[in-house]
Amino acid sequence: MSHWGSGSSLPGMIAEAVSPGFIRRRARLYASVALVSGTNGKTTTSSMLRAILDGAGASTVGNESGANLRQGIATSLLRVPVATALAVLEVDEATLTNVMPELEPRVLVLTNVFRDQMDRFGEVERVIELLERSCDLLPEDATILANVDDPLLWPALEHRDPVGFGIRLLQAPASVPSMRVETEVCSRCGEPLVYTSRTFAHLGVAGCSGCSWRSAEPTYVGTITERGGLRLVTLEVAGERLTLPTGGVHNAYNAIAAIAAADQLGVSMSQAVQTLRSFQPRFGRAEQVQVGGRSVWLALMKNPGAAHVLIDEIADDPRVGSVVVSVNDAAADGHDISWIWDVDFERLVRAGLPLVPSGKRVGDVAVRLKYTGGSVEPQHPDPLDAITAALAVCPSDRSPVVLATYTAMLSVRKAFGGQVASLADAPV
Amino acid sequence: MIGNAADLVIVHLYPDLLMSYGDRGNVLTLVRRAEWRGFSVRVIGVARREQLPTTIDLILIGGGSDRIQGLVGNDLAGRGRELAELVGGNTVILGVCAGYQLLGHRYVGVDGGEVRGLGLLDVTTTAGATRIVGRVSTRASFDNRSFDVSGFENHAGRTFLGAGVSPLCSVPKGKGNNGVDGTEGAVNGSVVGTYLHGPMLPTAPAFADALLVRALARATGGAPLRPLDDSIEEAAELSERTRHRKQLTSRGLTRTSTWANWGRAHRLPPRERSSSRAAPTDGHAAGSSVALRLPA
Repeated sequence: MSHWGSGSSLPGMIAEAVSPGFIRRRARLYASVALVSGTNGKTTTSSMLRAILDGAGASTVGNESGANLRQGIATSLLRVPVATALAVLEVDEATLTNVMPELEPRVLVLTNVFRDQMDRFGEVERVIELLERSCDLLPEDATILANVDDPLLWPALEHRDPVGFGIRLLQAPASVPSMRVETEVCSRCGEPLVYTSRTFAHLGVAGCSGCSWRSAEPTYVGTITERGGLRLVTLEVAGERLTLPTGGVHNAYNAIAAIAAADQLGVSMSQAVQTLRSFQPRFGRAEQVQVGGRSVWLALMKNPGAAHVLIDEIADDPRVGSVVVSVNDAAADGHDISWIWDVDFERLVRAGLPLVPSGKRVGDVAVRLKYTGGSVEPQHPDPLDAITAALAVCPSDRSPVVLATYTAMLSVRKAFGGQVASLADAPV
Repeated sequence: MIGNAADLVIVHLYPDLLMSYGDRGNVLTLVRRAEWRGFSVRVIGVARREQLPTTIDLILIGGGSDRIQGLVGNDLAGRGRELAELVGGNTVILGVCAGYQLLGHRYVGVDGGEVRGLGLLDVTTTAGATRIVGRVSTRASFDNRSFDVSGFENHAGRTFLGAGVSPLCSVPKGKGNNGVDGTEGAVNGSVVGTYLHGPMLPTAPAFADALLVRALARATGGAPLRPLDDSIEEAAELSERTRHRKQLTSRGLTRTSTWANWGRAHRLPPRERSSSRAAPTDGHAAGSSVALRLPA
C-alpha cells in the first residue's frame, strides 16, 4: 500500500457534494466504527488498531495517510465495505464534534492533549473543551477510552466514565524534564500538580497539591521494561512481553491505546500483542532510511510534546551521532514556531551531538541552537543538504537523526523519492 | 545571592504558568547576551505565593490562556506596590501577551470576568469575540531608538492605550493591540508590554541589548555594551521579514481569524496552496491533498 495513494480529500468532498448524508449512510454499513483523536499519536494508534483487527481476520478501512478532516474521512468511506467490516478513523480534534453524530462510533479513543498548532486552536483549553463536547455527542452505549496519565485530558472526561489506559515505567526516566511543555495545574482548583511518576512531558501519575484530585488507575496498562532509543521499546501487557519495532514511550502509549480499543471490539489482548510485534512505523514515526550505505533515522517532531519524547530517546542513545533539526511553518506545521524555545535542545548539546539547522525556518532554528550555548553546524534549508552535512559530522559507527515538523518531513521523504515508501512497504 | 548579587538578576514570574509561547526564549536571550559579555547572571523563577528577591534588575512575565491568567491575577495584584517601587528604582519589566495585559489596569475576559492588573502601564484590555493571529514584522521604539522586530501574535484581548504610555510598534490595521488603531505594545520608561511572542528577543538582538543596557545599569552605570556577532540573529529576522512581506502581498494584508473561520478555512486547502515555495499541505492534517499535488 502506498502512503500517498490512500487518502485524499477531493473524492470525499465530491461524494458529500453529490450525495448529502454520505458519511452517515456509509458509516451505517460498518459493523463498528472506532474513532481516534487527541493531539499526538492519532495516526500510529489507528494504524496499530487496524493492524490488530486485520490480523484477527476483520476487514477494516481507515484514513492511515492522516487525512483526518471531514473530506478525508468521507474519502476513507468511499469503498463499499464487506458485511463484517470495521472502520477505524483518526479524526482531527476540531472535526470530531462535526462528524460524531454521523459516524456514531462504538469506541472513541482519546490519546492526549498537548500544545499544538496554537495559531489554529488559540489555547490548549480550547482543545480539551472540544474533546469534552464531542463526548456528549457519542451514542449511549459507546465507550470512551482515554489516556489516564494525561492530567489535562482525563479530569475533563471523568464524569463520563471513561475507560483508562496508561503506561508505567519499570525504571524511572534517566532525567527529570528540565522544562515544562504544559502548565501543570489541577483542572479543578488550579493548584500545582505533583507527580509521583512521569512518563514524558506532562504525562504520568499525578495528584493535586491543593485538592483531593488524583490520577485514576488504568484499566489497560503497559509496563515498559526496556527502552532501545528510536529502535525499539519493550513493554509488558496482560502478562505478555511486547517488543515494538519502533521506539519511544509515545509508541508504548499508542500500542496500549490500540490494544485497549481492540479488546473493546472483541480481539483478545494476547492476539493484539502478537500482531503488534511486527508492526511497522508510518510516515516519519521513527523510520530508518539508507543514504550512501549509512542509516539515517527520520522522526516526526510535530510539537514540543513530540520533541520531548524524541529527545528523551535519542539523547542517551549511543547509536545516534548527529541531529538535523528541520522546522517548517506551513499551516500543517503551525505558523507559530515559538515552541522551539520550549524544546530541550540543550540536552542534545550536553550529549555532545552536533546539531544541523534546516527547514524553511532554518534561521530561527540556528538562533535557537546558538542560544543553547553549544556549537552550531552551518545552516542547510534543504533537507538533503542537511542530512549530508549531518552524515559528515557523524561518527561512522553511529547514525544521524532527522527531527522534522510535518511538512519538513514531507520534503525529506520527497527528497528520498520512493526509497522510504518502498522500505516501509516491504513485508517484514 | 546573599549580599553579593550577580551583575544581572532576572526574575521570571510564574515560569510554569505563563509560558505558553516560548517565553523561555526571551529569558535565555537576555541571559546569554549578558554572559557572552562576561557579566554574571542569576535567573530566579517566582511562583504564586513565593517572595520576590530584594535585588531585581529585570522581570519577565510571559503568556498564557485566559484560565491561567485568572489563576495568577490575584497573586500578581498583591504584588502591585512592591513592583511599582521596583519600577521607580528602574527595574526593567517586559510583559508578553497575558503578561502585557496584566501590566495594564485590568483584563476583562470573554465571560465578563475581570482580572485586576498592576497598573504599571496605562492600558486596558477587553477580550474580543475573535482572535488576532499572525506574523508581525515591524520596528520597536524604546529609549529614543528604534529596532527591527519580528514575532507572532495570538490573542483575543483588545488593548487600548491611555495617555501615560507610548506604543512600542506600529502595525497594519487588523493587527496589534486592538486591530483598529495601528499600534502594538506599550512602553512607559522601563516597563514594556507587547503581544509579540515568537519569542521576540532572540531575533531582535539590538532591542534585547537596549533592555540589557538599562537592566545592567547597577553593574555598568548604563554604559554601552560591547557589540556581539549577531549575524545569525539578524539573518533570521531579515529572512522572516522578507517572507512575511511576500506573504502579505500574496494573501492580502490582514488575517484576523475567528474560531468559526477556522472551521471553514480548514475544510479547504488553505493559503499555502498558491505558494510555490511551500511544501504541499492539507491545511491541518496530512497526506490527503498531498497525493493531488505531488508530481506524478
